[in-house]
Amino acid sequence: MNPEGFRAVTEFVAASALVVVRGELDLATAPALDDALTDVIDRGARALVLNVADLAFMDASGLRVLIAALNRVGPDGGTLSLRAVSKPVLRLLELTGFTHLAEVLQDEGHDHLGREQTGEALVAAAVGVARSAGSAQRRTVTAIPANNDVVDGALRLVVTLAQVTIGGADGVSVSLRRQGQLSTVAASDQTITDMDTGQYATGQGPCVSAAVEGRWFHVESLDDEKRWPDFIPRARSLGINSILSTPLTASGTPIGALNIYSRTSGAFAPADQQLATIFAAEASKILTDAGVDVTPDELAEQIQHALETRQHIAQAQGLIMSRDGVTPYEAYTTLRRVSANSGVSLADVARDLVSSVAATPQPAPMDDRP
Amino acid sequence: MTARSNQLEDGRKTAGLSHGELWMRYFELGGMSTPLQLEAILYGALVATASDHDLIAHALNERFVELGGNHPIPYAADTDEP
Repeated sequence: MNPEGFRAVTEFVAASALVVVRGELDLATAPALDDALTDVIDRGARALVLNVADLAFMDASGLRVLIAALNRVGPDGGTLSLRAVSKPVLRLLELTGFTHLAEVLQDEGHDHLGREQTGEALVAAAVGVARSAGSAQRRTVTAIPANNDVVDGALRLVVTLAQVTIGGADGVSVSLRRQGQLSTVAASDQTITDMDTGQYATGQGPCVSAAVEGRWFHVESLDDEKRWPDFIPRARSLGINSILSTPLTASGTPIGALNIYSRTSGAFAPADQQLATIFAAEASKILTDAGVDVTPDELAEQIQHALETRQHIAQAQGLIMSRDGVTPYEAYTTLRRVSANSGVSLADVARDLVSSVAATPQPAPMDDRP
Repeated sequence: MTARSNQLEDGRKTAGLSHGELWMRYFELGGMSTPLQLEAILYGALVATASDHDLIAHALNERFVELGGNHPIPYAADTDEP
């Protein structure tokens, strides 16, 4: 918004760095902060402290820079800490789950600019963090505890309940992403575990799609199924014919799926789908209450995806504006109407439009107005 | 609450989206308001511009399509209401 007003001032002591960030952190200014953080990380800083008392505004592009920094220092046991976070910025950090990934404090530590935290105090803090990195798990970067017995037990209960309640179910499982990998936490039998494993191995299937896209996938009959060509033969060899995968979320972010399998095609009636949704909601509540968080990678991916989609939409909007000589709002309305009329998401409409124009030297006339 | 903000907030609840989830979707579609501003719009404390209203409505409608529904939230561009 105001690149001139933005400043990132760095003080650097041993393995720790204090960065005082001022102004507005958005698409225009994020690269400046990225440069400042890259610089201190390259110089060996592993404990990054950002004083953001005078940061008036931050959007997702700023968040992306913070996550990138966290990802770079994290593997070496480094930390990222935000100090003097204002309410609006805190809200963004909370909404996106960032508060679970890094230390976020509303108070300022010492003086207003946090200068007293530099020098010996900061080095001492960095040493303390390094010492406790092995045991205390200050950051929850590894997200789901690898073997959280309570969570797993609760999820097994959900699986059992779903199995006995949902009429068409021959088997039920819960898949969760742990340390970036989908794995089966609870399954009613070995065939069902094999079904899940087949999907992880091929990276295809309704379970993987539900866990990634956060919406449900229903395979009424594998005979007619065209999606996931690598996975379908494996499913058929295990005797499965219909599948219903419902996403599981923690704090609103998709992190797994509740999978219901049947040997019969068309086994799941609308009432069964409703039940699956209810069980998935219960499992998601368990995961959210257990403080299961998305990892920085997943969060960064989500934000990256959102930013890419925004860019495609803006490009498509620009194309329509110059093609039709209309205002941005009218161009957006055109896009949105194409999306509504075709049932294709606005993001995909924009992506298709941009790539079709990129593929043709002379933009072909497009008949996409309602 | 205005009639319009009511429609959006009711739609959000029916769609089963938290304010944060709705904001992420809205942001992805090109929205420029902060999460707090979005919440204020839904509660009727801020009046949305027509384009902001349509973005929120579309974010909700795409969610309804995912859930197997139609486009129940009307757009500002399609109504006579100023």
